[in-house]
Amino acid sequence: MRHTEDDLRTLLDGYGRERPGGEPSADLDAIVRRGRRIRRTRRAAAGGAALACAVAAAVLVGGLPSGPPRADEAVAARPAPAPTPTAPAPELPDGFPVVLGDQRFDLSIIHSRRFEAVGAAGTVTFTPTSFFTGYQVVCDDPGAWVVTEQRLKGGERGGTAGRCGDGVGGHHDRLSAPSGWLEGPQSLKVWVFPADAPVREAAEAVTGCRPAPAARGCDESAQARALRDPEVRRRLSAEVGERQGRWAVGIYDRPAAAGAGPGSGSPAGTGHPVEGASTPAGRRGD
Amino acid sequence: MDDGFAEYVAHRHLRLCRMAYLLARDWGTAEDLVQTALAKAWTVWRRIEGNPDPYVYRIIVNTHASWWRRRWRGEIPAETLPETADPRDAVAEVEDQAALWRAIGALSPRQRAVIVLHYFEGRTLTQVADIIGCSPGAVKSQLGRALTRLRVDPDVQTMTLEEVQR
Repeated sequence: MRHTEDDLRTLLDGYGRERPGGEPSADLDAIVRRGRRIRRTRRAAAGGAALACAVAAAVLVGGLPSGPPRADEAVAARPAPAPTPTAPAPELPDGFPVVLGDQRFDLSIIHSRRFEAVGAAGTVTFTPTSFFTGYQVVCDDPGAWVVTEQRLKGGERGGTAGRCGDGVGGHHDRLSAPSGWLEGPQSLKVWVFPADAPVREAAEAVTGCRPAPAARGCDESAQARALRDPEVRRRLSAEVGERQGRWAVGIYDRPAAAGAGPGSGSPAGTGHPVEGASTPAGRRGD
Repeated sequence: MDDGFAEYVAHRHLRLCRMAYLLARDWGTAEDLVQTALAKAWTVWRRIEGNPDPYVYRIIVNTHASWWRRRWRGEIPAETLPETADPRDAVAEVEDQAALWRAIGALSPRQRAVIVLHYFEGRTLTQVADIIGCSPGAVKSQLGRALTRLRVDPDVQTMTLEEVQR
C-alpha cells in the first residue's frame, strides 16, 4: 500500500517519542568531560606529530610471537556504541598509571576506538608521543576473551591474551619499543571473542593446549596462551562468527616533551614488555 | 567555558535525541550520538555563530553515517515493502506503520537523514542541504529516491519536489 507525507510525519513523530523507560536526560558533566577528552586527544596528536623524529627503543606488551595475521580472519565492524538501549558503552579510563621501579607516572589517553562486534578483530592506528605508549581494552562483557598483537622490538609480532575483565593492557618502556616507534603511526590489532567461545576446543584441536605445568590441564592460562596462535583465532572466528558485543581500545601516552628522548628525565626502561601492568585503578564514568 | 552551552543542552537535548533515534533506531546509540555531537560542539562552542542547531545536526548526521558504515549488521533489509492487507482495518494499519518504519530503516543513512530532517525536524530542503553539506539538487534527488522506496504518494511527492525547484 502507499503512504502520504502526513503518514510519514505522524509515524516519525510517534516513533521519536516512544522511548522505553522515559525521556533521556542530559548529563552536562559527561558531555563536557568528553569534550575535554576530545580536545586533549587532538592536542596530543598534534604534539606527537611534531615530535615524531626523536629516538627509539623500548617496548610494549610482551608475550610470545604469534605469527602473521591471516587474511581469512574476520575483521571487526566498527566502533560505535550501542546495541542495547539501557546498557552504557564500555568506558575507558582517563589515565593509565605506570610503575617502573621507583618511578610512577600516569599516561593520558591519546586515542580510542570503539567496536560493536565480537568474534572478529579490529585494528587501532595511533601516533606515539613517547616510548611509554600503553593501551587498555575494555568490554561490555568482562568474560570476553581478548587477544592483542603488534610489532615487537625484534620485528616479530606478539601480544597478550586473557579475559577482558582481568585488565588486558600494557605499555612500552624505553628499551622495549620497536625501532622507529616515534617515527610515525603504529598499530595494534585486537581480537575479542565472546565469553562462551569454544577456546578450549579450538586450542586442543590446533595446539593440543599444552599446559605449563602439565598437571594443571588445559586451564584458562593455557587457553590464553593458545589464543596467541593465529590458527586458533582463525578457527574461533569461523566458529563463532560476528556477534554483537561492545568493546573499546584506549591508547595512552605521555606528552611528547616528557618522555620522548634520552636524557629527558624519563624512567629507565626494563628491556622487557610490560603487559597488564599498572592497570588503572578506576574507570571513568561519563 | 559556558556561553549558553548548558542552556542549549538543557533546551535541545531531548529533541536532538529524538532526531538521532530516528536515524539510529536505537536509543542507546541515539544518546551516544547526541553526547558525541554535543561534546564536539563544546570544543568549538565560542566559534559557532548564530543558531548552533545546523552545526550539531551535521555532526549527528555525519557521525551516524560513519558509525553505520562500519557497524556490524546481521539484518539485511528488504529492498521492497511487503504488501499488506487492504481494505484497511486496525491491524492492517499497525502493520502498515511497522512496514513503513522498517522501510525507513532500509534507507541509506543519507536518505534517512533527509527524510528525518525534512519531515520530523521540518527543515526546508535548502536547510537540509546546508546541514548535510551537499547541494539542494542532491537533496532533492535523495528525497525522491527515498520517497519512492517508501511508497509515499506520488502526487504529494511531485508537489514536494516542485516546491524545491522554486
